[in-house]
Amino acid sequence: MWRFLGGRIAMGALTIFVTTVAVTLLIHLVPGDPVQIMYAQSQGTTPEQLEEIRRNLGLDQPIHIQYLAYVGKLLHGDLGYTIRGHQPVLDVIMQRLPNTIALAVAAMIVAIAIGLPIGFFAAYKRGTAVDTGLMVVAITGVSIPHFWLGLILLFFFAVELGWLPVSGTGPLNIVLPAVTLGLSNAAIVARMTRSSMIDVMRQDFVRTAEAKGLPKRVVLSRHVLRAGLVPVITMMGLQFAYMMGGAIVVENIFAWNGVGRMAVEAIFQRDYPVIQGFILTFAVVVVCVSILLDAVYALVDPRIRRA
Amino acid sequence: MAELSGAVTDYDHEIVPSVRRTHFLKRVALSPGGAFGLAVVAILVFSAAFADVLAPYSPIKMGVGKRFLPPSPGFPLGTDEFGRDMLSRMMFGSRLTLLIGAIAVGISLTAGMLIGLVAAYRRGWVEKILMRGTDVLFSFTETLIALAFVAVLGPSLTNAMIAVGVAGIPFYARTCYSAALVERSKPFFEATIAAGAGPFRLVFLHLLPNVLPTMIVVATLGVSAAILAAAGLSFLGLGAQPPQPEWGSMLSGARDYFNRAPWLMVIPGIAIAVTVLGFNLLGDAIRTALDPRETER
Repeated sequence: MWRFLGGRIAMGALTIFVTTVAVTLLIHLVPGDPVQIMYAQSQGTTPEQLEEIRRNLGLDQPIHIQYLAYVGKLLHGDLGYTIRGHQPVLDVIMQRLPNTIALAVAAMIVAIAIGLPIGFFAAYKRGTAVDTGLMVVAITGVSIPHFWLGLILLFFFAVELGWLPVSGTGPLNIVLPAVTLGLSNAAIVARMTRSSMIDVMRQDFVRTAEAKGLPKRVVLSRHVLRAGLVPVITMMGLQFAYMMGGAIVVENIFAWNGVGRMAVEAIFQRDYPVIQGFILTFAVVVVCVSILLDAVYALVDPRIRRA
Repeated sequence: MAELSGAVTDYDHEIVPSVRRTHFLKRVALSPGGAFGLAVVAILVFSAAFADVLAPYSPIKMGVGKRFLPPSPGFPLGTDEFGRDMLSRMMFGSRLTLLIGAIAVGISLTAGMLIGLVAAYRRGWVEKILMRGTDVLFSFTETLIALAFVAVLGPSLTNAMIAVGVAGIPFYARTCYSAALVERSKPFFEATIAAGAGPFRLVFLHLLPNVLPTMIVVATLGVSAAILAAAGLSFLGLGAQPPQPEWGSMLSGARDYFNRAPWLMVIPGIAIAVTVLGFNLLGDAIRTALDPRETER
C-alpha cells in the first residue's frame, strides 16, 4: 500500500513541478509584450513605470532565474500581487477557494446521491426496458450543457418561483449551483456505476454466492456493491477535477464568489499573476484530492492494501 | 472508409462470425441511437452547407424584423434583441458548431494518435516521457488546459477551438496508446517485423489502421465534448465574440431577456443539447457495431 501511495505522491509532485514551469512560461507565451497588454487598460503609465514593473515582475531576468525566483517566492507563500488593486494573489485566492471547494463537494454529493442508485438499479435490471430508459435519461443528461441547465434552473426556481436566491454566496445560495453541476455529473456517475456493477455481476464469486443460497439482498450489498464500488471510487478523483472545472462556468452564472469567477475576470483583465495563481492552486487541489482518494481506494481494496 | 470496413470485417471474423452478415454502417443506422445520431448529423451538415441559400436573412444584419418578435410564420424562431432573424442565426451557427467540432477534434486526434502510436511503438524512455507527460496533462483536466490557453492567446473563437483541441490531446493519446499496445502484442505484428518492415511501415500501415476503429469511436464522442467545451467558453465570453452567431454566445446574450423573450434562451440551448446528444448516441452506436460483445451491456 505504501509503495502504491508513494508512486501516486511522486506523480503528484511531478504534476505540480510541471505546473510551476508551465505557469512561469505562460507569461512569455503571450503574443506581444505582456506588461503593455496588462497595463493597456490603465491610462497614463509612462515607459519608465512599465520598465519598473518589468523589473518588479523579474521579466528582465533570464528565464531560468525567473523560474527559480518564482519557486523561491512560492515556497514563502508569495504568489505575487494582483495588477488591479495590488493585493497579494495568495490572499485573493484563499478568500475564494473555500467557496469553490464547498461548491465542488456539494455538487459531488448531489451527483453521487442521484447517479449511484440509478446506475446500480439499472445494472440490476440490465437488459430490461427500465435499464434502457434510465440509460437514455443518463445520456441525455450528459448532453445537456450545464450552463444552460443552470440558466433554466435559475429562472425557474429563483426568478419565477422565488424559492431560492438568484445569486450571491451563502448557505442557501449554494443549492442551485450545486444542483446544476451535480445533475450533469450524476449522469456520468450513473453510467460508470452501471458498467462497473455489471462487470462484477458476471464474476464467478457472485455466481458462487448466489449458488450457495445467499439471499439476493446480501449478494447485492455485500458482494456486488462492495466490489463494484472500487472502480467508481477511483473515478471520483477525476470527477472532482471535473467539478472544479465545471465550477468555473457555474460560478459565473450564479455569481458565486469562487476562484472560477475570479479566473474568468482575470482573463478579461489580463491579470496574469492571478491567472498563474489560479492554475497553480487548481493543480494543487486536484492533486491533493486524487492522492486522498487513492488512499481511500487502497483502504477499500484489499488487493492493493496487502500488496 | 475502405480500410475501416476491412479492419472491422477481420475483427468480426475473429470473434463473432455471424455479425459479418450485416454491414457495419447498416448496423449503426439500424440501432435507434445510431439512427437518431445520423439524423442529427445529417440535419446539421445540411443546414451548415446550405445556410447561404436557405437562411431567409443575414445572421448579423440588425433590424430585419422588429425586436423580440415571438416565433411566427414570418420568423419561425422569432427575432432577438437587435431584430435579427433567429432561424438564420441558428443556421449559420450550425456551421460554426461543426467547424468547432471538426477543428478541435482534428487537433486532438492528430496529435493524440501521433503521441500514442510513437509511445507504443518505440517503448523505452520515449514511451516513459510521452506517457508520463500525458498523465500529468490529463490530471489538469481539459477545462483548465483550455482556460490556460485562452488566457495566453486571448479570447476569440479560433483560439477557443485551438484551446479545446489541445486540451483533448492527453485523452486521445492515452486511448490510442493502449489500443496500439494491444495490437503490438499480436502475432501479426511480430510477423511483420520478421518480414523486415521498417518503422514507418509498421506504425502507419500496421498499427494505425488497427487502432482506427477505436479512435473513430473516441473522435465521435469527442465531437460532443468539444462542442460542449467550446460553447461553454463562448458562453463565458472567452470564445466566439458577438455578433458571431455561435450558439453558446447567443445563449449568454439571451440571459438578460429571459422574461421578455424566453425563446432566445431555449432555442440555442436545445440546439446544443440535441447536437451533443446526437454525436454521443452515434459514438455509442459505432462502438456497439464495432464490438458486438458490448451489445449485452
